[in-house]
Amino acid sequence: MLNRQQLRRAWLQQTACGFGAIAASAMCESLQANLATDVTETNNNTGAHHPAKAKRVIFLFMQGGVSQVDSFDYKPVLAERNGDLLEFNDARQLAKQGKATQQRLMQSPWKFHRYGETGRWASELFPETAQHMDSLTMLHAMRTEGIAHGPATLFLHCGSTNFIRPSMGSWVLYGLGSENQNLPGFVSIAPSSGNGGPRNYGNAFLPDQYQGTRIGGAGNDELLVRNLAPRIDISESDRRSQIEILSRMNTQQLNRRGFRENELEAVIDSYELAWRMQSVAPPLLDLQQETAETQRLYGIDDPKTRTYGQRCLLARRLCEAGVRFIQVNYGDNSANPAWDQHSNLPKHADHAKAVDKPIAGLLVDLKQRGLLEDTIVWWGGEFGRTPYAQDNGTGRDHNPGGFTVWLAGGGFKPGYSHGSTDEFGFQSIQGIVHMHDLHATILHQLGLDHKRLTYSHVGRDFRLTDVQGRIIHEILA
Amino acid sequence: MHQIVRVSVAILSHCMFVFALNAQGQSNTEDVKLRHFESKIRPALIRYCVECHSAETEQSGGLLLDSSAGWQQGGDSGAAVVLGEADSSLLIKAINYSNPKLQMPPDGKLPADVIEAFRVWIEQGAFDPRTEPMVTEANKNRALSVEKAQNHWSYKPIANLDLESLAASSSALQNHPTNSTMGSIDQFIEDRLAQEGIVAVPVAQPTVLIRRLYQDLTGLPPTATDLERWSTDFSAKRYAELVDYLLSSPFYGETIARHWMDVVRYADSITLRGMVHKNAWRYRDYLVSSFNQDRSFQQMIREQVAGDHLQADDESTRTQQLVATAFLALGDTNLEKQDKEQLDMDYIDEQLDVIGAAFLGQTIGCARCHDHKFDPIPTRDYYALAGILKSATGMKHSNVSDWIEQPLPLDELRRQEFGRIESELAKLTQESKEIKKKLDKIANKNPRFIPPGELPGVVVDSGQATLVGSWVASSSVGNIVGENYFHDDNNEKGQKSATFEPEALPPGEYEVFLAYQSAENRATNVTVKVFSADGEREIIVNQRVPAPELDLWNGLGKYRFEANGQKYVLVNNAATNGHVIVDAVLFLPVEQLKDGSLAATLKTNAGDNNSVVNSEVLKKELKRVEEQVGDLQKKLDSRPKYLTVSETGKAKDIPIHIRGDSHTLGEIVPRGFLTAIQLPVESNDGLSRLHLAYWLSDNGNPLTARVYANRVWQWLMGEGIVRTPNNFGTTGAAPSHPELLDWLSLRLIKSGWSTKTLVREIVMSRAYQRSLTEPSAITLEKDPDNHLLWRGHLRRISVESLRDSMLFVSGELDVAQCGSLIRSGTKEDYNYVHGTTRRSIYQPVFRNSLPELFDEFDFANPSFSVENRSRSTVAPQGLALMQDPWVSARCKQTALKYASVIRSEGTREGISQLYLACFARRPIESELKTCFEYLGLEWQEEASNDSLDSSTQVNAARLEQLVQVLFASLDFRFLD
Repeated sequence: MLNRQQLRRAWLQQTACGFGAIAASAMCESLQANLATDVTETNNNTGAHHPAKAKRVIFLFMQGGVSQVDSFDYKPVLAERNGDLLEFNDARQLAKQGKATQQRLMQSPWKFHRYGETGRWASELFPETAQHMDSLTMLHAMRTEGIAHGPATLFLHCGSTNFIRPSMGSWVLYGLGSENQNLPGFVSIAPSSGNGGPRNYGNAFLPDQYQGTRIGGAGNDELLVRNLAPRIDISESDRRSQIEILSRMNTQQLNRRGFRENELEAVIDSYELAWRMQSVAPPLLDLQQETAETQRLYGIDDPKTRTYGQRCLLARRLCEAGVRFIQVNYGDNSANPAWDQHSNLPKHADHAKAVDKPIAGLLVDLKQRGLLEDTIVWWGGEFGRTPYAQDNGTGRDHNPGGFTVWLAGGGFKPGYSHGSTDEFGFQSIQGIVHMHDLHATILHQLGLDHKRLTYSHVGRDFRLTDVQGRIIHEILA
Repeated sequence: MHQIVRVSVAILSHCMFVFALNAQGQSNTEDVKLRHFESKIRPALIRYCVECHSAETEQSGGLLLDSSAGWQQGGDSGAAVVLGEADSSLLIKAINYSNPKLQMPPDGKLPADVIEAFRVWIEQGAFDPRTEPMVTEANKNRALSVEKAQNHWSYKPIANLDLESLAASSSALQNHPTNSTMGSIDQFIEDRLAQEGIVAVPVAQPTVLIRRLYQDLTGLPPTATDLERWSTDFSAKRYAELVDYLLSSPFYGETIARHWMDVVRYADSITLRGMVHKNAWRYRDYLVSSFNQDRSFQQMIREQVAGDHLQADDESTRTQQLVATAFLALGDTNLEKQDKEQLDMDYIDEQLDVIGAAFLGQTIGCARCHDHKFDPIPTRDYYALAGILKSATGMKHSNVSDWIEQPLPLDELRRQEFGRIESELAKLTQESKEIKKKLDKIANKNPRFIPPGELPGVVVDSGQATLVGSWVASSSVGNIVGENYFHDDNNEKGQKSATFEPEALPPGEYEVFLAYQSAENRATNVTVKVFSADGEREIIVNQRVPAPELDLWNGLGKYRFEANGQKYVLVNNAATNGHVIVDAVLFLPVEQLKDGSLAATLKTNAGDNNSVVNSEVLKKELKRVEEQVGDLQKKLDSRPKYLTVSETGKAKDIPIHIRGDSHTLGEIVPRGFLTAIQLPVESNDGLSRLHLAYWLSDNGNPLTARVYANRVWQWLMGEGIVRTPNNFGTTGAAPSHPELLDWLSLRLIKSGWSTKTLVREIVMSRAYQRSLTEPSAITLEKDPDNHLLWRGHLRRISVESLRDSMLFVSGELDVAQCGSLIRSGTKEDYNYVHGTTRRSIYQPVFRNSLPELFDEFDFANPSFSVENRSRSTVAPQGLALMQDPWVSARCKQTALKYASVIRSEGTREGISQLYLACFARRPIESELKTCFEYLGLEWQEEASNDSLDSSTQVNAARLEQLVQVLFASLDFRFLD
């Protein structure tokens, strides 16, 4: 049985892992043992399961679905047979009609070149990212669930197309806790409010401290956290005396009760933390503290790359500050977000232009600061696109059966390509990696066993990968 | 089904065949087969298959490939191997990747030689020496069986307790000095405490109790006046009066309804695309009025599950019954899911989850893919229940499926009115359709095609011409007389001709025109001959250039024709250098030619055509009709609708969906309920949703009454007797006071499922009224979590009450009841600004845009049934209370209000009033002193007349900040 002090500590610890944790980090470390034995009796699978190769994740989410055959999955046959009518198991038509349909092959409007010592192909859409080709681990044979954006986006984030499940960032935070007790452990920068919106960074049935914190939102350049910036209608000194008197009032109320209660003391502490956070976080969000050179590296000096550049730079700052899971969104709030070129495929070029330099800048910056080693950079969308034209038009439809994502850092094999799609770049055929597998593998690198990272809810132990997921050992360094 | 049976038979016969061969000792062949298996098959199985398909790992798809018995038995999709028939074997189909839904191994197709090895293996009879018995999952039978269900407390019938005998044996009761005031609840609790040797703390102070009751029963704090009214001469009798007073308050229903809304995942929108449920609020209002009227909860269960099937004597009852069915349709469904069959099952799964959790405290969803691993719920039960729900759907399918709204019943007069509107609308819609048709006719009369009849003079269209040779009809290019023109296909030069001769041509002088459609590939040297009274004239026409008049007509000159003379135009393709075109020839009397131009002539001619005038008139008419249609539609749309499900036809039994996959079907299961709970049901025709509703709400169902009684207890006490209110299964918590729970359940049933009776029973108990004082060390040691209720639980004020209380203290709360607050025209919920001062329960629960503060303060996730709200303590809560503009606005308003109190009553009294409003108590001296200090005022030991003077100098900004501090303080956020 616990004594009072232990109870209080346990309480503090219980509330400590999320945005606005209570305890100072030093105290947190010393309580690690307590965490394992005392607090987590209902979720005894928390904590690192094996030595980790990476400490954190930066997920560069390309919302809408980048076309693999126009970016990293080079298929010369598309140009050779451009316009040919062929039968394909189009996912959407298959779901609707249950049969294959005739589709017209469409060549890529972009040229492909070999890059790096490994000589792997990339299209001229990503000239800057391609400079890092030898650092990237390409997964060319991805598969996922969901043909429409909503289901596929939820599946990407939460491992389920339909049911309400915690987001991957929440699972990671739940499993590892935060490295910085004054900051949120899971951040989504400029997320879309569509296609699942907050559910994509939500904690679902996990305790609330594991929910993702939104910084900014799709469609604007402001990188703000709600209620964080100090109010301007109250002077700094008034704010200070206000927080002091709140503390005094609370103490008086506590004393008046004549008994102590851990939960109440935790609330008192939470105000102190909020106060501290208000001084810690705003400077962190202030990109002006970076040199002009760094800002240029991310393309912040160019209006075309500024928006995503700022988000990527913020990601690096959060990464340094100890945030576990940082999602950097490129998307919008519409039902056909960003990369969703059902028609007018050439528009891919605008999106590529907006993200290419910032992503390359982020990779350079992480490398030069030695952060890439223990940071997983994950680039990808919710699905890929078809190698044929949609309805004979000028765009490509969704393709959950074959697409490319790449990983960098975090103990993955650099310069390695895993898996392949068929000759057209349509279906994954070799080295297939299902989204569940990718989740399992990323968790593995973080020292988490996806089968043991469970949480008990309404009588069942849930996990990110449901009853699926294999670790793809071939891509591990 | 049939296929599986057939395949299995095939296996059996082949097996016998193999054994027969073995018996004859064909050892040579066997050696070959053994070598093939050991060299090709076993290594391939180990390398590619058994990682997932073995008893020791995942048994994916129910298929084991680690023993011969495994593949012989087959998996969820049926037999894996048809001996001797590789192409018919599922295993080969899977590794061939020929079915997009079944491709193994999942990470890529096997090398061709391995696939071939498997083919050979099967063709040769699939020899497999691995005869060791199949290992079955060691702990497969951990689950409580249906037969033994009653070994678990919650499946046992509710004990019919004899309270009198229990009371007689209760030592606690006998020893208690004030046993006359003790209710029955306390007998159970204090008896237990006595057994454990724990001394309960006393009942709380009157003002604490009054605040507790107000918050629990109305969700609002008491006013200073309320407090004074009820605390004066406080007694048990006065307390009971207060309870009755609050139970009859309209706020009571709102408060209880909100608790139930957590359980039924109430929301006004769905996450994907933020689509707004415009009519969900009627269900919420149904809950508010039902709880206020103390409608039998048994009845409410029936209405929520099958209100559409219930009988009603009057329209208002009927309305309530129908509206209640929104319960079935509130799920956060993924309407975009393209596999609609699977979506239908997901929808039902969600309904079963909520029905199971809300009414039965059962995790039924666990049985979707396999028998429940812990509770007595076999997969058969799941599909027996799913079959019942399958007869109704909550969706109309399309790319993004739609939910279902139905018009509410109306009184006779309004029904007739809407009937009139409907028929009028139908009539006008038809009218507008016809006008559109006419307009289309005019507009769509494709100007490319000129009816010969509309041309002046005499026209000979190509159709009437005499065509010699093979001319090709076409209509690809340009304006055309009649339906088409002909071309010579640029071949057989000199062999094709076209003669245009009018049937009748009044004698006289004519301008003759040839119509052709020019293009790059045409001939530049077409010979056209005109035969007239004056003989034959030859004209060369360049058809590569557009014809001079209207790009169509080429003038051939003026000719005189006589009654019996020759009168035709001949075109032939001799020696032409491209396509030759013939469309029509026009003979125009010279007097009809205006200004020497055919174009001018035709233009004037068109002026006579009244189609232009006609179209203007029609357009006006259409506009008028469409306006009327719009008005009528608006009127019709104002007809109230409700969110619901709709019957799709006769209920029927459905098959088990193996591993939950709607495309892998198993045995058909008769509709039914949980077999662990057998209750008599009468039905000739299989079970329906109405039967389900009655089975759920049956007095004899041991789960339902217990689950609901436990919920009401939890809503008032802070913790349930069972601390997992949605899970009464074997993985849930055990009841701390099982007899008490049964007693409460019986009271509920005997009162006719009256929620108010149950609430009154609970709040009248001493257990409810206990204070939260410091426990003794011994007690803390024995029961630190207060399972035995020796004191009150420290409770948080819910976010709804927190928000409402701020508005209440500031004097801004609008207590109007019911109705929709969704601003008209709201199509999606993204970034919705709530911004009303109505009570929180009426703020739309938008899943993508919750009302202010809801995100920070543990509002129940509206996407699934929530049994207990979380109790997080995180910095964003502090930030919200100190920084959020919404909170600041309430503080400003409160400060204004109390500044005036301070002006009239003095600082001491003003602050005291503020404390009363916020905390239902006056400040103690040290608190007052702190307030004075913060306001920058000189401390006054006691109220004096001077204070009235100094009070006018209260710093408004500081007062506002002080209010904010009070709102953020512990006493405002917690309930003692």
